[in-house]
This record gives sequence, C-alpha cells and structure tokens, in this order.
Amino acid sequence: MKRIKSGEELRFQLATNLFLGLVLFIVILPLWRVLMLSVTPFRYVDRSFGLLINPSVWTFEAYSQFLSHPAFLHAFRNSLVITFGGVAISLFMTVPMAYAYSIRTLPGRKLLNAFAMIPFLFNPGLIPSYLVVTGLGLQDNLLAVMLPPAVGVANMFIMRNFFQEIPQDLKEAARVDGAGEFFILMRIIIPLSMPILLTIGLFYAVGHWNEFFTPLLYLNSAKLQPLPVLLRNILMAVNMNEYIEYDAFSSSSVQSLKAASIFITMVPMMMAYPWIQKHFVKGSLAGGIKG
Amino acid sequence: MRKAIVLALFATFLVVGAMGAGAQAKLVDIDLWALGAVTEAGNPPDNWVGYQIIRDKLGINLHLVLEPSTPTDQDTKISVAAAANSLPDVFGVNRDMLMKIAKAGLVAQVDSLLPKMPMRTKIHYNDPVRTKLVQISGKMYGLPDPGAMDRVEGVVIRKDWLDKLGLKAPKTLDEFMAVAKAFTEKDPDGNGQNDTYGFGAFYESTGLSSAGFGRRFDCILGAFGVAGMWNLDSAAKFQFNFRDPNFRKAVEFIKRMNDEKVMDPTWSAPNKDEFRARWKQGKFGIMWEQFAALHTQANYKDFDKNFPNGEWVPIMPPVGPQAKSSNGIDIAQARIYAVSAKAMKAGKGDAIARLLEWMASDEGYYLCGFGVEGVNYKKDAKGFISFDGIAPELAYTHKSQQPITQLRNMVYINNDIELAVRYPTYKSQNGKTMDPLATWKFFKNSPYTESTGAGLIDPPSNANDFKRYYDENLIKFALGQQPLNDQTWADFMRGMDSLGAKDIEKAAKAKLIDAGLLD
Amino acid sequence: MLRNVRKHAVFYVMLALPVSYFLVFKYGPLVNAQIAFKDFSPLDGVWKSPWIGLGNFLTFFSSIYFWELLRNTIGLSLGKLLLGLPLAVILAIALNESALRRFRRIVQTITYLPHFLSWVVMYGVLLLLLSPDEGLLNAVIKAAGGQPIGFLYTPKWYPVVVILSDVWKEVGWSAIIYLAAITGIDPGLYEAAEVEGASRLQRIRFITLPGILDVVITIGLLRLGNVLDAGFHQIFVTYSVPVYSVGDIIDTWVYRQGVLDFQFSLATAVGLFKGCIGLALVLSFNRLAKRYTDSSLF
Repeated sequence: MKRIKSGEELRFQLATNLFLGLVLFIVILPLWRVLMLSVTPFRYVDRSFGLLINPSVWTFEAYSQFLSHPAFLHAFRNSLVITFGGVAISLFMTVPMAYAYSIRTLPGRKLLNAFAMIPFLFNPGLIPSYLVVTGLGLQDNLLAVMLPPAVGVANMFIMRNFFQEIPQDLKEAARVDGAGEFFILMRIIIPLSMPILLTIGLFYAVGHWNEFFTPLLYLNSAKLQPLPVLLRNILMAVNMNEYIEYDAFSSSSVQSLKAASIFITMVPMMMAYPWIQKHFVKGSLAGGIKG
Repeated sequence: MRKAIVLALFATFLVVGAMGAGAQAKLVDIDLWALGAVTEAGNPPDNWVGYQIIRDKLGINLHLVLEPSTPTDQDTKISVAAAANSLPDVFGVNRDMLMKIAKAGLVAQVDSLLPKMPMRTKIHYNDPVRTKLVQISGKMYGLPDPGAMDRVEGVVIRKDWLDKLGLKAPKTLDEFMAVAKAFTEKDPDGNGQNDTYGFGAFYESTGLSSAGFGRRFDCILGAFGVAGMWNLDSAAKFQFNFRDPNFRKAVEFIKRMNDEKVMDPTWSAPNKDEFRARWKQGKFGIMWEQFAALHTQANYKDFDKNFPNGEWVPIMPPVGPQAKSSNGIDIAQARIYAVSAKAMKAGKGDAIARLLEWMASDEGYYLCGFGVEGVNYKKDAKGFISFDGIAPELAYTHKSQQPITQLRNMVYINNDIELAVRYPTYKSQNGKTMDPLATWKFFKNSPYTESTGAGLIDPPSNANDFKRYYDENLIKFALGQQPLNDQTWADFMRGMDSLGAKDIEKAAKAKLIDAGLLD
Repeated sequence: MLRNVRKHAVFYVMLALPVSYFLVFKYGPLVNAQIAFKDFSPLDGVWKSPWIGLGNFLTFFSSIYFWELLRNTIGLSLGKLLLGLPLAVILAIALNESALRRFRRIVQTITYLPHFLSWVVMYGVLLLLLSPDEGLLNAVIKAAGGQPIGFLYTPKWYPVVVILSDVWKEVGWSAIIYLAAITGIDPGLYEAAEVEGASRLQRIRFITLPGILDVVITIGLLRLGNVLDAGFHQIFVTYSVPVYSVGDIIDTWVYRQGVLDFQFSLATAVGLFKGCIGLALVLSFNRLAKRYTDSSLF
C-alpha cells in the first residue's frame, strides 16, 4: 500500500479509482447479463432484463448439456495438449528470435526486420496456407494446429522491444565475465523479462485455446477434436433445429447454451490470469538489477 | 517339450496373423465424409456392427468422418479439400458447391456406377428432376438421394390470438393486413402491454435465388405472383420478377407493413436464432416457418411451456388482388453424395457402388437407419418401427444411441416407415394432440411456385455486387430509408441493368431451355 | 563486415530455427500466393495453373462498392485504433496508480474477460442493450420520453456501435501489455521525481508515458500495418442489409463473393492488396515516428 500523504494524492486516488470503478461497471454489466442468461430457464429468457433472476429458478441444464457430453473430457484434454504444446513451441521459437532481433549491432538487421514484416503485412489467405500444411502431411495431426501460428510477428516485435529496454551494462558485465549469449539469454534476459514472457505466453495460450477454425479444417478424426470445435458443433446443431427429429441433445434455449459455452471456455483462462498477475510487480526489472 | 509346443503355437499364431494381414490387404479403403444425422453426437463406436459387416461382406475398410454441423462449415471443409485436390473418396455436398468443384474437374462422373447398384438406383435415383440437379451436359456428377423433403415451409398463425380477438383466419391480403394490425394493436395475449406484432420474419437470403427480402417474405410476394427471383412460367414470360409491375406493388405492401409497424422490427436482420426465440416468446402471431422447426416436440416444447394454451396452426398463404397466392418457390431438393475423381481413378468405383447398394438393401437400410433389430427397435410385419419391449435407453431415438444411426440420412427415402417414427405425434402440455406431419401435409397441399429451374442458374461473376444492390435497394424502400416513387423505382431498375441484369437473363434463359426446364 | 558477422555468429544460430519456420510456414504460403495472378485450378496445382495477370485484382477494383468498402474498412479500423489504444493506455496507467491493490486486481481480471466472448455471443449482448423494443438503452430513452432507436439497423448509429463494442471487448485485454511495460520502468525514477516534488500527474507525464512510448509506438505501427482488417467476425455477425452502406468492409465483401463462387484466387489477391496498403502506411508512419520521437518499429 502506498501511503496517502497529501490532499493532492487523495484527490488523485479518488479520481483514479472512480475511473476504474466506472470501467468495471461498464464491463461487468453485460458480462453479468450473460452469466444470468446461462442459468435462466427458457421461459424467462427476454422476459426481463435478466440482471436479477431469482436463484430458486436457476437451471444448470445448459452447462450439464455440455459437460455431460460423452466427448467433453476428451475434447478438453485435446485443448490442453494443443494449448500447452502450442505455447511451448511458440516461446521456444519467439524468445531466441526476439533476442537476436534485439541486438542493435547485428549485421543484416534491416533485412531481418523486413523478413519478419512481409508475412505480417501480406496475408495470402486460406488456400495457400492449407496447401503448405497438407503438403507437409500434417492433416489429422495436432501439429497442424500448433505449428503454423508458432511465431506471431507482432508478439515477436513486442518482446524484442522489451529485450531492448534491458540495460546494456548488464549484458556487457556478463560478457566480460566470459558468459556466452545463450547463458545471458537464459540467466539474465529471461528472468528479467518474466512479465512480458508471461504476457506473450498468455496471448499465445488464449489464441490456441479459442481457435476453432484451423482444427475444423485440419483435424478430421473425432478423437482429435478440441473443445471449441465440440462446443461449436453442439451449438450449431441446436441452431439447425429444423433437422432435429428427436429430443436428443437440445434441451436448453440456444441463448443459454451460447452463454454457458462462453463461461466453460472462459473459466480455465480466468483461473490462469491471477497467477500471471502476481508477476506484474512494479519495477520487477529494476529490482532484478539490484539483486 | 513344453517349450516346443509353445514355439509351435507361437509359430502358428504368426502364420495365422500373417494370413490375416494378407486378407486385410485385399480390403478397399474408403474415406467417407458423411453428413451426420446428429453431428454433435459423434462417430459410431469403433465396434459398431456396421463396420464389421462392411468389412466382412463387402471387403471395405470404411473410414468415416462426420462433416461439421453447419452448411457453411461443411462448404469450407469441402472447398478447401477440393482446392488442395485432397477430397475424400465419397462425400456429402450441397448442390452449389458440387457444381463448382465438378467444373474444376475434381468430381467423377457417376453414370457408370448406377448399373452396379440396381436396387439403390431404383429406390434412390429414380426422379428425373432430382437427376437434373446433379447433371452437367447430361452427365451425372453426384448421387441425389431423396432424403430431403420438399415444401416444408408455409404460413402459420396463432389460432389462440385469433380466437381471443374474435377474428377469422385471413384469406386475402387485406384480411392478412387487418389481422396483423389487430395482433399488433389489440393486445392479443392479454398481458396488458403493447408488446406484440402481427408478422415476424428475418432476412433469410443466401444465394441469388433467394435474393431480395429473403425466403420469409415469399408468401407475400407470392400473393402478387412474384415469389422468388425469376418468372419461370414459360420461355416467353421468362424474366427477373422485379421487372413485373406487380413486384413494385409487393414492395409497397411490405413497406406499408413496416410503416404501420405491424412487423417485428428485427425483420431485416439475418438472425434465425433470434427469430425462433421470438416466436417461442410470443412476440408475433403470423410467420412463415418450417414444419419441423415449429411442430416437432423438441422445438415446440419451449413455446408450449411459455404458452400452454397457445396454438400455431398452418393457413393458406394470402390471396392477392389478382387471385394469386404462393407459399414460396418449389426447388427440387436432394441430399447429394459425390465421388471424387481421384477415387474413381484409383479404381474404387466398384467398392463405392457395393457400399451404397448394401445401404439400400434391407440389411443396410435397417441397420443404418434404425440400429439393430430387437435391440434398438422392433419391426412389425409391414416393416413399421416400434419400441414395444425395448428398454428406453436402448431405443435408437435415445440420446445415447444417436451415434449408431449417424448414417441414417444416407439410407432414408422418406417413406411412411421413416416419417411415422421421425415425426411422431405427441401430446402438448394442455393435452392437444400435435402431429407435425399433418402440418407438412398441409403445406404440401398449399400453392407453391414451381421454380426448379432457378436452382440451375449460375450466378454471374459480379453476383455479390448484383445481389447487394438488389437487396439493399428493396429493403431501404421498405424501411423508408429511401423514397419509393416512379423516379426512384426507375433508377433502381436502371441500376440493375447497369449491373448486367439483361445479360444474366439471357444466359439463364438459354441454359434453362437447354436443360429442358423452360419452354 | 565479415568479422562482424562472425562475432555475431551465435545470434544467427539462435535465428536458425525461427527462420526455417518462417521459410516454411510464412513464406511457403506467400509463394503459393502466386495464385492471385493465376486462374487457379486444383488439378493443375499452384505452379501449373495458367497466369492471368491482374484479373483477380480487377474483379475487386471494378466492384461498384470498391471505394465505399475501402472507406468503411479504414474508417472503422482507424476508429477502433484511435479510441481503443489511448483508452487501453489510460486503463493500464490507472490500474498501475491505484493504491487499492485488491480492487485493482479485480478490475484487471474482470476487464480482461470480455476478450473471451465470441462475437456471436456479443451480438446477443448488444441486442439486449440496444434492441428497439426491449434493449436496456432504449428502455432508458423511452423512459426519458424519447423515441426508441434501432442502433444496429440505422446507418447513422451502426459505426458507433461497431467501434464502441470493439473497444469495450478489447480494452482490458490490450491494457495487459502496457501494464507489463510499466513494470519495466525503474522505480528509482519515480523516487527521484517525488523528492523533487513532482505531482502525480507530472510523474505520469514525464516518467510513465515516456517509459512505455516505445511499446505504444510499436503496437500502433503494427496495428496500422493491418489497418484493412477491420474485424471480419464482428461485422459479419452484427451487420444487416440496411447498414451495408456503412458496415460492409473488404473482408465481408470477399466472404460473400467467395460463398457465391469458388474464388480462392480473389481472396488471395485482396490479401496482397491489403498488404500493399499496410506496407505503405507502416513505412511512412515509421518514418514519422522516427522523426518526432526516439522510438520506431525499425
């Protein structure tokens, strides 16, 4: 806790936290509404603004419809594999790349910048990428989902920026002591850059976690289906309801199912975030230097 | 000694194993991308008896992939696989996509397969109009199964609202308007609030044949004799419907409905979910809906829960000033399976014909369509399905049994056996007997505009701009976002011509006459 | 020169794997992008399909809606950037400055959640807020004696809805990266400023903002590079015919064109066109950034 010393500080804190409170309110209102929708029985949907629904009529049917699906656990596991595997591959490539790009004296730096920027700017579309992935024989293989987005160019440049901010003297001192560049990367750069590594890791993780399109394209076997594909299939099938002949899987309203699917995907990522926040300690870089 | 026996046994196993492997090598691998019946339920289990039969009797090693749930996702998957020339051997595909990939040379001609599956050909591919759907220059590029039902949509009305307000079901357009107005203004649900509308719809328009206001408005356009995009009455009359003076009257009518606020204001948004949620919540009293989406138990139960005394009944589409009426356009429907050119080249044609023929045999039909007899269903002397003495959780209609009949849409032919069990009669909450098939039969007997040819017309290269210009202008006229008078209407027609409407008409006419669908 | 290269050899070793990855997964598709200039036939494959020159580009340029599409795309995209980026920076700074640690964490976690809402769900949320007959906002308007507004169906309002809903969804998520940047600022600077009697606002102005300027500029320039991606999914699920004139963007047009036809070359051609615009913007703004600040992308 900062000590509040003066009237000015007090006013400043008041203004800041009022602003945050306002943002929180604006964000939470619709979110709350979605949460309520996910537990609202169909007959109440749209009957009120749904911000306050008597808990006695709450129904978790929509959630149970997803969670009780025979393929749910399997799909969840696939998603975990894709996410953790994908993040590992991504960081394994992005970190050394960003570090090399952060060396201002590196010959050919301009060329390297262009090398990374061109694919970022020019998006060749679906078919050219599909041909590459299938050309490598990766269809029906989880790697088809994990490999193509392994390095996000924007993520790489942002990480490079952070590496550039690390004081030169630190690296020079290590080099004088005879440390190699890999040692410097592992023992100095990475420990000092935990906030950005975690942030970028989170970006990659969320990207993999939410992705449904590439799995839909590349993964044919039902056994490889990740969570977003399964959720989408359940949702969309309900959506196509003129074809539903039997009361098989559809017992909640489409709205509730959509809302519930959101929370099912959101919860694991929500739990991961506070853990990452812990590393967002102010001045962690400078602290590292002193220590 | 014992060691020797063990060795001998081991050797025997090896030999038998090798023979087994040898026998396996003779199996033909068939990759099938099927349109699953309940996609979210997942594949049949690995030990599904069907796989066994297909392997042992037909010598086919079937690799089954269920295509995604939505038509858009299916199209994406097929078109991307097509672009990479990696289509599976057999796959379910919609007609538009089939035509595109067939023209790119990726799909095999299948005329030669028909003699190899006489039974299936007789039962499934016997309809000349359906056959035309898959033909290019007289050759078949797909196998059109009869599973899709026709004339499934029509006008329905809230009978309980009519009764409450003491009104009769509307017959003419004027009565239609009057009832819609009463539904809007006279509080038909009696909740004391002004929260209902007469007519509900959404913008349901994908290809050129449903451009404009979308299919949900065909019942109104039909009253003016201009349902659908084309006038296909005869070669002499052939033209875009918008050239017909009655078309402008139809637009003016829709504009009046909008101006007088008798339409649910979300009608111009493309949201089917929202539309369906809204009728289930009693927002409006007249609509154009699909019979199963309305009346099967799975779909009706939400409405039933909300309004135990509510009742949707089908009515004939309104009759216009020139005594015309139509519930929509009639386009031949088919579930199409195609064979990739690659598979045919690899000599898999015979095996594919074997597989499809088996599916049309009694054994294949009942197994794929209803599961195992005596376990998942029972069959009476006439072949009708019942569940007497079947444990409910083993009935093939039960949630847990959905995977075993995933291929049912490949064998169904819409005979009475299927329909009776697919769309069973049930009791609603207040004890009314609900019969979805009765609704369908009502629609089937209502007037439709024959329009099969419309499905064969190829979109022009600027189809996208063409369609947008058309849709945007019509909807803005109706919404009052642009004035509707002689001047603006003439501008609109000129705009259509500058986008090539005349050339499109010319090309379409030639094509339809050539296909024998216009004379 | 050569000696310099040898001195940096270890960095090239670090680059070996990522560069090979780029060659396969990023340049491979770019090589295939030649189909933009070809009449692509799957049977012939990428290399053997016949060249047709600029035909695919002309299909796009000759659309009667071309200029409108360009205007809508750039307008919506810039609107999101110009409103979203400063707001994310402000949110990050406010989060950093707040002395209420627990509250700060809650705000941070909650504001990050909307990023996970798909646009399909967001559309439902927007309807609940904005629909003319039962939306929350229209209920307020009606209570105040006004006429309800069909925000989603009116050309005047639709762009506002698109930009604000995108900012709402992404602001907390975008703020994360600036928060990470703020953690990198040396606390010694703040202490020194405090000793010199600088006010809170002065400290933000002269220490925090310059401290994260680099990241802001990098992200801003990267976003400019993709300025012609105005958010396909968002527009696609929220637009309707009455607002095409302000909401139809390049990507939705390409999508509709693709649905009606089997035109993969067209999508690729449009992708390349967008890249050219992005390249021009990045280069010119990179130069401006270099001239007026110390930071730039390269």
